[in-house]
Amino acid sequence: MAKGYYRLGCDIGGTFTDFVLVNDQGGEFYVFKCLTTPSDPSEAVERGIQVLIDRIPGSKPVIDEIIHGTTLVINAIIERKGAKTGLITTQGFRDVLELGRELRYDAYDIFSEYPPPLVPRALRMEVDERISSDGRVIQGLSPEEVRGSLSRLRGRGIESLAVCLINSYRNPVHERQIKAIVESEAPELFLSTSFEVLPQIREYERTCTTATNAYVKPITARYLEKLSSRLEAQGFAGKLHIMLSSGGITSVATAREFPVRIIESGPTAAVIASQYYGRMFNIRDIFCFDMGGTTAKSCLIQKGQAGLVSTFEVGRVQRFKKGSGLPIQVPVVDLMEIGAGGGSIAHMSKMGLLQVGPESAAADPGPVCYARGGEQPTVTDADLLLGYLDPGYFLGGTMPLDKPGAVRAMAEKVAKPLGASVIEAAFGIHDLINETMAAAAKTHIAEKGGNPKIVTIAAFGGAGPVHAYGLAKKIGAPRILVPPLAGVGSAMGFFTAPAAFDLSRSHRASLDDADFGAIETLFQELEREGAAILQQTDRRQKVTFERTLMMRFVGQGAETDLQIPRRSFARLSKLRVRALFDETYQKLYGRTYPDNPVEFVTFKVRASLPERPFRLPPLARKKGRLKNCIKGKRPAFSLLKKRFIPFTVYDRLKLFPGARMPGPAIVEEKESTIVVGEDAVARVDEFGFVWIDINEGGGERGRWA
Amino acid sequence: MPIKRSKPKSEVGVKARRRSRSSRGAFDAITLEILWRRLVSVVDEADASVSRTAFSSLLRDAHDYTCMFTDSRGQELVQGTFCTPGQAGAMALGVKKIIRSMPLKQYRPGDVFIVNDPWLLAGHLNDICVLSPIFFKGRPVAFTACVFHHSDIGGRVSSDNREVHEEGVFIPLTKLYDAGRLNEEVLKLIRWNVRTPEEVTGDIRSQVAANHVCSEKIVAMMADEGLTTLDDLADEIISRTERSMRAAIAKIPDGIYPHESVIEGAGQRKDVAIRLTVSVKGSDLTVDFTGTSPQVDWGGNVVYNFTYAYVFMAVKSAFDPDVPINEGAIRPVKMTAPEGSVVNCRFPAAVAARMQIGHFMTEMVFKALSAATPHNIIAGSGGTPAQTNIFYGRRHNGRPWHTMIIRGGGLGASSRKDGHHCAIFPANGANTPVEIFESDTPLLVAERSLVTDSGGPGRMRGGLGRRMVLRVPDDDFGPQAPVTVAVQAGRFRYPPDGMFGGGAGSKAQFLRNRHPADPSGLTFCERGDVIEFYSAGGGGYGPAFERDPEAVQADVMSGYVSIDRARDDYGVVIDPATLKVDLEATRVLRKKS
Repeated sequence: MAKGYYRLGCDIGGTFTDFVLVNDQGGEFYVFKCLTTPSDPSEAVERGIQVLIDRIPGSKPVIDEIIHGTTLVINAIIERKGAKTGLITTQGFRDVLELGRELRYDAYDIFSEYPPPLVPRALRMEVDERISSDGRVIQGLSPEEVRGSLSRLRGRGIESLAVCLINSYRNPVHERQIKAIVESEAPELFLSTSFEVLPQIREYERTCTTATNAYVKPITARYLEKLSSRLEAQGFAGKLHIMLSSGGITSVATAREFPVRIIESGPTAAVIASQYYGRMFNIRDIFCFDMGGTTAKSCLIQKGQAGLVSTFEVGRVQRFKKGSGLPIQVPVVDLMEIGAGGGSIAHMSKMGLLQVGPESAAADPGPVCYARGGEQPTVTDADLLLGYLDPGYFLGGTMPLDKPGAVRAMAEKVAKPLGASVIEAAFGIHDLINETMAAAAKTHIAEKGGNPKIVTIAAFGGAGPVHAYGLAKKIGAPRILVPPLAGVGSAMGFFTAPAAFDLSRSHRASLDDADFGAIETLFQELEREGAAILQQTDRRQKVTFERTLMMRFVGQGAETDLQIPRRSFARLSKLRVRALFDETYQKLYGRTYPDNPVEFVTFKVRASLPERPFRLPPLARKKGRLKNCIKGKRPAFSLLKKRFIPFTVYDRLKLFPGARMPGPAIVEEKESTIVVGEDAVARVDEFGFVWIDINEGGGERGRWA
Repeated sequence: MPIKRSKPKSEVGVKARRRSRSSRGAFDAITLEILWRRLVSVVDEADASVSRTAFSSLLRDAHDYTCMFTDSRGQELVQGTFCTPGQAGAMALGVKKIIRSMPLKQYRPGDVFIVNDPWLLAGHLNDICVLSPIFFKGRPVAFTACVFHHSDIGGRVSSDNREVHEEGVFIPLTKLYDAGRLNEEVLKLIRWNVRTPEEVTGDIRSQVAANHVCSEKIVAMMADEGLTTLDDLADEIISRTERSMRAAIAKIPDGIYPHESVIEGAGQRKDVAIRLTVSVKGSDLTVDFTGTSPQVDWGGNVVYNFTYAYVFMAVKSAFDPDVPINEGAIRPVKMTAPEGSVVNCRFPAAVAARMQIGHFMTEMVFKALSAATPHNIIAGSGGTPAQTNIFYGRRHNGRPWHTMIIRGGGLGASSRKDGHHCAIFPANGANTPVEIFESDTPLLVAERSLVTDSGGPGRMRGGLGRRMVLRVPDDDFGPQAPVTVAVQAGRFRYPPDGMFGGGAGSKAQFLRNRHPADPSGLTFCERGDVIEFYSAGGGGYGPAFERDPEAVQADVMSGYVSIDRARDDYGVVIDPATLKVDLEATRVLRKKS
């Protein structure tokens, strides 16, 4: 048996499934990328693992740990392929899910579409019970009535059940009773209760989050089961972890219980990897840029820390319109979708302008050049025609690209209507998508208080390193970092992610009257809960906690988050807390009002296990000669000169520390391609990272920035 | 050089760039798109800050506010995505007037103005505008403004007042901050004229904060982009927007389109006659209100700006909804209305309930244009006017409380789709979560649900109205009597009409202890009372007998339509046991008609 401690990171994306296998002892990496198998994603996983294991010389290794991210949950919601789900709620409120918040998300569009609720009206039942807003039981619950509703719902064939009662965030006694009844009467049902999924005020958001959890619970459970049994059949007996949207990893049991927390599990991995690299190289501002086949997502990481937000939307009817999706209130890394992916389709708008996306050719049929039936030119087709991709070396040559097909489609669908040449059209697509991403990226960076002119762009995904240079030029970023194995690099994030879980509890109390001892008790309870969840992942490691206060002026409707040191709350002074609040508020909104009373609303705890030791192996090759790394030259399109010029093509696998590659250059690896413009220089460090410095001098940047 | 003259960056939109060069040459299409998007995101960020800093649930949860900013000349450049069209449209006119009322050089950094003059802005005292100049490198380069609907502005809150003086505190254009220094006296004056001073002043501060966020971001953007003025950019954006709006109007066949109808008076007051004529000539559209009723002796009077806002809403939403709104969009749309008429009232008319008339303007323009452009419009909506309720009183311990909610109704159907259930239209806003409402008040919400059979029947069905049932608890935690309830709403007598053969939606109702109560005055409730509000359903579109029987069946299965009405209104016979369509019986029934 091959010696070592083997960990496998695996990320199922919309188009590709990426794998990285690392031997923590030997330090070797093995990577693989294959098309996702949408009907049963675990099929691709099994195949990938087999391929990787077979690559390891000698006897077959045992994989000790698998860390996994998946788009399964989000796709089930977007494609409405979740379970038949029922809802039990308070008398008078079965339409909460359908009424939503009523805001017309596009004030001037009278034909707006709205996402239909995940639970249809006929499957929403009411029970006569009532809790008041201060937690008193006004009307008791009748177990008989619950049984009646339950049997009607079962009669209608539900597989999963959500329970969300009015004011249960304040007092969950009735939800607990219903839970007990369901567990004894209908143990086959998947159950989600709102007090466990999201114990927070605002019934629509809570019901929606709970119903979404219920909707994807069976499909997640089945998938995880199928995956586990495939893995078992392959001889895997180690630990299986799942990535949370919040950037931590968790046990299969927790993921199965709260699948709503793994919605963004895939894209989060690149962020975690960037966070890690940011700390490793001590870079203050990293702009994580992950461009795959379907979307490009980004996140600004400052001082090694990505932002975390508490609400997001899924299944938007209109992709870039806020309010057109279902609100989900669970902690999620502050990711922003900044654009389309390599598979995004180019077309002409009704104003006669070129547009790219949001429709994507995804894995099936894929770009025209995949020759799998795609007829609409995509970003990948444009990149191919511009010479950035080698038709004979896509995925290391395992997937030959059809260049003539791409030319034909480009000519017919874009060039002709634009009155431009095929190359002008291809450049238009490449440049437009960069431009769109740059605009979104600048906004995103600015909103987070960063400055695009000092960020280092960390490029991930199959298309990330192809577009990073153009993006950097447009936002004025001076440097690009392309990690080793960038094409599957996001899967590296799995190895560094700590096991972590976020918990919160609402408890309103004015600062003046608050019992700090009771608050300390509340924090401790949350911490115990968090520790219990983490111990399912690992019993031996020490759990650490971060505490956050959510406070506001008395009478406000939303809170300002304050991070507080973890020491006994009882020993904290009210003055200190007040000063912290005023300081934060003033920073955000310009002024604060020290005379106005403030209150506590919610207390949050993040429990985490230590960040995982992860050592990037130094490059095996210690030195070499640059000319041995050169595969040749090929003409590719210069963004500066707006014409084809010869680019030197390097083989990334042969690179050595200190290798210096002046642009114009193309660095090829199996899963991705790095483009380096003629005003930039790429260097390789001892770990195999490629650093691209864009020429500081020259007048070009001013115009591009 | 004032503006970054960017070199053409790409071959994209070869066409577009040529176009831009030939017209102005300053910005290529892509640079413009980027700057524009960033400006929108600036306003949206200011907008988002409100939900975090505001006090009243009408703002933070129901989103009854609008943020915007203008160039240095007061021309509206961008408004928030989640705006309320009435406020936004009126602000585009009013803010320009305010800004131009004073020479630019007299503005100083740190100045903040406050005003709620209904004739200057959005038509009632509750809408307070806070406006600040934005300085960059020592020069005023833009103005940021926001209008918040304050649920409490003092006064008597019902729709039966006869003069604006009864309706609350009137704030003429005043400096709240003078070069950064707070004018405490202004706040003091407001504080003593409202019922819940902490909330009102807290919300005014939230307005100041929203403007602060907007200013900071604009300054940062100008620094990033190397701009020294926004005016050139504004000119480019505004002229492009105008072109887009004109192109849309040009597609409406030229002609004169008159429409005449009545709107119910509040309570049992007499109907108000509206006569309007839409004239389309080339890319210009004019709406004239000659012949409309004079102003009335209750609170439904509408100021010019607010009438304009909803006339504009009709044109914009029907013909050019995609392009963001600014000064350019309003240029091709003109409006004339006799002074002293109910749609262009004179001071000191009562105006608090101006939405009871003003919100109808959109649907009336739709009706005028319906024959010419049948696919661009929707039938009458139950959320026209927005249903507004104000509640106040004292808790069991004597502490005052005050809140306001807005409710929608079923949206009218269109040629392409059924009406959405429960939308506030043509205004915009959100509901207040029940859990928020209950934690802010001593009242209990017993129900909030869709009303079966309330959508107007049609080939496309109108959206459903909804019912909201409230109880005044009579236990130890219940409020002291009386609980005052004010209703500013409509559709109690005339339901939303259908179009092209579609049926009307259901009417609105206001019940106290199961009996109809007068929605025009104040209702004083006792402990233990039950109050019910029904909002109206949307009108249907096209003959109901042409509706796909499967769609009717789906409606029955969801409980939107009853089996009886499926048969009577739609001619679709559904078996009550199996909920299957009896195709033969349906064919026979539909043939008879």
